[in-house]
Amino acid sequence: MSFVDSIAAGLSVVGNIEAFLALFVGVAIGVVGGAIPGMSATMAVALTLPFTFAMQPITGILLLLGVYKGGIFGGSIPAILIKTPGTPASSATILDGYPMAEKGEAGRALGMALWASCTADVISNLALILFAGWLASFALSFGPPEFFTLILFSLTIIAGVSGKSLLRGALSALLGLLLATIGLDLVYGTNRFTFGDPNMMGGLNFIAVLIGLFAIPEILAMVWNPTAHVGTARSLGKNWVTFADYRRSFKSIVRGSLIGVFLGSIPGIGAAPSAFLSYSEARRTSRNKENFGKGEVEGVAASEAGNNGVAGATLIPLLALGVPGDVITAIIIGAFMIHGLQPGPMMFILNVDIIYGLFIGLIVSSVFLFFIGSVAIRGFKYVADVPKRILIPGVLVLCVYGVFAVNNNIFDVGVMFVMGWVGFMMVRFQVPAAPFLIAFILGPLLEDNFRQSMLMSGSDPMILFRGPITWFFWGLTVLTVVAIVRAGVRAVRTSALAGK
Amino acid sequence: MTERQVQISLGAGAILASLFLLLWAIPQWVSSPSNVQKLILSPLFWPYALAGFTGLTGLGLLFGGLGSDDDGEPVNEPSDNPAAAWMRLAGMAAIMALTMFLMPRLGMVLTSMLVFVASAFLVRTRHPVTAVVCAVLIPLILYAFFAHVAGVAIPQGNVLRLP
Repeated sequence: MSFVDSIAAGLSVVGNIEAFLALFVGVAIGVVGGAIPGMSATMAVALTLPFTFAMQPITGILLLLGVYKGGIFGGSIPAILIKTPGTPASSATILDGYPMAEKGEAGRALGMALWASCTADVISNLALILFAGWLASFALSFGPPEFFTLILFSLTIIAGVSGKSLLRGALSALLGLLLATIGLDLVYGTNRFTFGDPNMMGGLNFIAVLIGLFAIPEILAMVWNPTAHVGTARSLGKNWVTFADYRRSFKSIVRGSLIGVFLGSIPGIGAAPSAFLSYSEARRTSRNKENFGKGEVEGVAASEAGNNGVAGATLIPLLALGVPGDVITAIIIGAFMIHGLQPGPMMFILNVDIIYGLFIGLIVSSVFLFFIGSVAIRGFKYVADVPKRILIPGVLVLCVYGVFAVNNNIFDVGVMFVMGWVGFMMVRFQVPAAPFLIAFILGPLLEDNFRQSMLMSGSDPMILFRGPITWFFWGLTVLTVVAIVRAGVRAVRTSALAGK
Repeated sequence: MTERQVQISLGAGAILASLFLLLWAIPQWVSSPSNVQKLILSPLFWPYALAGFTGLTGLGLLFGGLGSDDDGEPVNEPSDNPAAAWMRLAGMAAIMALTMFLMPRLGMVLTSMLVFVASAFLVRTRHPVTAVVCAVLIPLILYAFFAHVAGVAIPQGNVLRLP
């Protein structure tokens, strides 16, 4: 199929009002969800997921992608106006955004955040369109041993970079893998930890685990400390961003977008490190480096470009390899599965219309983000005024309905509550939840590819080293572990020296 | 809890979980066909491997914690009134347990209304009237969407039957 044919196939599935309306609504929900302190883009995507069950696959997935894109920008609004990042990725935006707000230039900072976000979004989407197909065609030659080593590498990097220590990330990933063993055995169909309960035979429901891990702990945290998340919003001021500001920051925006694309395409790195790296590179190379940290508009542009540059790129491993790059793409992979689609190289052959439909939708989402973002900047006051102690019970009720709707099963609601307490304990013990969820999703794939490899080779483990691709991933895995352990040892030594 | 205490607790917990899995849970609750000749192909292999790695990770966390200095800094922000915070958490656990109990009996809509009101008052809302209005409206709107748009069979219960 030629490129033009693929575009035409994509248009045939998204060329309708429902698809674009879903995308528009998704971006709006995302911006509002990301802007509410105490909510997050992850929570917004998780809570929107149950509403997609009744939709066409492409419409539902576009809705979620809209929420994802909107949520990442939305997080920068409270970061600038009340010094509270709506998402972890917006933390870097505070460094210059809040000092600008204190100087009465919040409107200018938010305008630049929006322009930088939209530019980075377009660059990231173009990278996705260029590289995902190429990577998928390369991955078509993968067999079970190659997929096993790829997933193992992804888990290593996700466990290593998601938290304060590799061991806590590894513990989190191992718990996710253990939880994924519940249900009937993949090959023999025998019981594993089902306790004779038919509800457990299909394994634990992904949505129940997801919402339990990411929404319920927020509710419990609110119950623990009901007066948290209270801040005073700064006024927008009279200064607005100008084209001259944009042109002056353009180099930092493009550099930040490319950093975002690179880091986003590696599973597990996420948007926050990208935003900080982009910010520090902009500060290092800027003519106004002495203004950074005191309210420099280029600093806002760089950090926003860094975190939004990740958004499209995290979909590269998702679509091309079927490996989620972060928690939000893990939720989106769940949405694909619920709609009977399996992301990965075969999707580029079997569902090319959906792939190109998504590409078209993503490009359009940047335009929607620009318009919705402009309105959201002015309307943030109303969003910030939503009483959290009304919002949180509403979220709890929404969780109950959403989880029940997956299988019409009250048992899933119980699973969600239990996972909520597990998630809350993980927060209290500073164990990252992202490796848990991603391992829970990748666990069955990892085991399945491992056992298929063993069946192919007659139980000879050497099949896991059978060619250059497996060696490549083993090499990357070893390098990652060594790098993370070295970084950990260095951090311990530095803190020990600082303590003396 | 300090960083060191967290590390040691996590390590000890992981080791105990690993021992429980290896010695009791896997032999008891994972079944394998008798004709599987090699352990590597058995349904038991993966759980045993994961339990073993969990134990090793626990050892790493435990020794890491024992070898580190205790700076005395708590890892979590202390609550203003810890006793009240624990009571609220216990209250939330009770609300969740009651939700599971009441849903098949009262139906999802009525249970959700009660859950909304109970949790709003648990977190000491400053807008009680709005909370009650939202407690009635939000479950009804969600019912209308899921039952009539998404086609989900929302449990109705014996007290309130909605169209």
